[in-house]
This record gives sequence, C-alpha cells and structure tokens, in this order.
Amino acid sequence: MDSSALNSPDLQRFLNQEKEKAMVNEMVAKLTSVCWDKCITSTPGNKFSSSESACLSNCAQRFMDMTMIIMKRVQSMQ
Amino acid sequence: MDSFSTGSSGSGSPQISTDEFMDQMKVQLAQAYAQEFLETVRGKCFEKCITKPGSSLSGSESSCISRCVDRYIEATGIVGRALLNSR
Repeated sequence: MDSSALNSPDLQRFLNQEKEKAMVNEMVAKLTSVCWDKCITSTPGNKFSSSESACLSNCAQRFMDMTMIIMKRVQSMQ
Repeated sequence: MDSFSTGSSGSGSPQISTDEFMDQMKVQLAQAYAQEFLETVRGKCFEKCITKPGSSLSGSESSCISRCVDRYIEATGIVGRALLNSR
C-alpha cells in the first residue's frame, strides 16, 4: 500500500467520522438490547403501549445518568 | 489523487482512489451493521415468540415474529432519540 495515501486529510476525516458513528451505533444497539429486556415483558403487539414506550425512553436516559455517576465515583476514588 | 494498491506491492498492481476506498468501506460497514442488527433481532424474537419449538412454525408464531421485528426496530428508534436528547 502506498503509505503516503494514509495521510490524506479526506481519509483521516472519513475514518474519524466512521469511528464515531460506530461508537454511537454500538451504544444504541447495546442500550436497545438492555432496555428491550427490561421494558418489553410480554409478547410483542401491534404497537407499544404508552408505558412500554415511556419505559424504553426512560431506560435509555437513566442508563446514561448512571454512566455519569459511575464515572464520577470511580474518578473520586483515584 | 491518493491511491491504494489492491494487490501485492509492486508495479502493475491495480490502484483504487481514496474515494473508491471510502465508498467500499461505507458499503462494508453498512453490511456489518445490518448483519449485527439481524442477529440481535433474531435472538430477541426467538426468545419472545418461540416458547416451545414444534415441528414447524405456527401461524401465531409467524405473526409474533413479524410484530416483534417491527417493535424492535421501533424500540431502536425510541432509544436512539432518547440518547440524542439527553446529550
């Protein structure tokens, strides 16, 4: 491979964008999996009940809140 | 224009442009994401809909699977939007 091509700013920008997209994708996928298990307890219907969709939305946000709390706590211990 | 060798190094190997490389990568990434999503949905819906595997899929199991796939896609949207709003 022509190594000077790796220094292309277009390529660097592209790789950074795709890296970011991959991280977001992974977070959404993981959260959906966890929150599905927590919130969708019965057989899937033709639409979500309002409590199911509220649960999914809350679950995602509380998970993010929890991530911040854990990070702060671990930091304060170091 | 920058270019990459697709074959072993040496003169005469076919070169592709950075743009072509990025396009190919985008296609492969999209395929990888789709594949992963498929496997997740398959696992979740098997768990929810096939409680007692029989000798074939019943009508209710089939319609459960359809609904489950739709719901899981919807759930992904709800979670994705909740994440976007919380930042």
